[in-house]
Amino acid sequence: MKTFSNRYVFLYSAALVAVAALILTVVSTSLKPRQERNQQAETKQMILKTIGVEATRDNADKLYEQYITEVDDGDCPYYLYDGGVVIPLKGTGLWGPIWGYMALDSSSTVVGAVFDHKGETPGLGGEISTDKFAQRFIGKKMDLQPIHLSKTADPANPYEVDAISGGTMTSNGVTEMLAKAFEQYGEMLPLKEGSSEQTKEDEQ
Amino acid sequence: MKNLDLIKFPFSKNNPITVQVLGVCSCLAVTAQLKPAVVMAVSVTVVVALANLIISLLRNTIPPRIRIIVQLVVVSTLVVLVDQFLKAYMYDVSKQLSVFVGLIITNCIVMGRLEAFAMSNPPVPSLCDGIGNGLGYSVILVALGFVRELFGSGTLWGYPIVEKLGLYGIGYENNGLMIMPPMALILAGIIIWIQRTRNKDLQED
Repeated sequence: MKTFSNRYVFLYSAALVAVAALILTVVSTSLKPRQERNQQAETKQMILKTIGVEATRDNADKLYEQYITEVDDGDCPYYLYDGGVVIPLKGTGLWGPIWGYMALDSSSTVVGAVFDHKGETPGLGGEISTDKFAQRFIGKKMDLQPIHLSKTADPANPYEVDAISGGTMTSNGVTEMLAKAFEQYGEMLPLKEGSSEQTKEDEQ
Repeated sequence: MKNLDLIKFPFSKNNPITVQVLGVCSCLAVTAQLKPAVVMAVSVTVVVALANLIISLLRNTIPPRIRIIVQLVVVSTLVVLVDQFLKAYMYDVSKQLSVFVGLIITNCIVMGRLEAFAMSNPPVPSLCDGIGNGLGYSVILVALGFVRELFGSGTLWGYPIVEKLGLYGIGYENNGLMIMPPMALILAGIIIWIQRTRNKDLQED
């Protein structure tokens, strides 16, 4: 076998890494706009889904324009639609970030929700991104207290949602995420005004 | 061995999954549906073919002491490129495959072919060997993806074929076990069984 000097080994590895880095930088920079467009379209699809509008990646922009008005209130952006508001949710699961959107009507009842995650365990915590899980939230309420997940959820309780078996840590993450959102948005949103039956009647 | 044989060999008597038993992890993880299985198969084939070619071109300049690192740099660069292209052009599939694209780096097939073949063979045979092993991996992945999606979800490439045939109406139900990873292992085991029954020389004592 041929022998190589230390000098050669160092120079060789330096050159190799430099070439690899250069290629990666060029490709990453040139593909970035496309990737970002994909991500934005996905966010729009998620928001539309909470209000029951199924969009594809291609028509997401158009439908979003049609149904959603963005309100950028500093740290707490939210989205208005005809009939209520969509709030963003951000939190931490077991392995990484989890997030979602939740549409509330004027009486703070959940109309729809979507959740997604970066790397929760498929089949366990990863189940939060399924429609089956998201549908458990429909009809629940975010007015006097936030919704929480529970192993022994009572279907009649508007603040309780059945947690995921085998996904306790992720479920706890969802509960925390909802509590945080409630704290952030509870006071400022138009939904608060209509939250109790009392004020609703006053308005009428 | 001729170049064409190098491509064909991994299909039968040297299949990376059923004979070398490499790359099984990703074969269990991504075959619940046909589409991610096909994309994964294509990605691995591209990576192993190009990595083989590049390493073979560099083989006389690579200092033996750092050869594994050099191979890793080449493989990870290629994998990151594939990942970036998927994110830009096939976003949904890239989400479905999630970490498994990145894990191509650790796929034993890739490193195995680089060490066993590309380090000691000229570029063209190396390229053929890479393509062959990639295709050998692909054929198993696609077969598993086909069976698991058809019987597990009743769809093919997302098309609801069982529903269109009206089988649910007469009491047919999807097999939930099919979409669980253990079923991929069982199916791969069945393929290995059939192959070894037909090829006596693959049987071990």
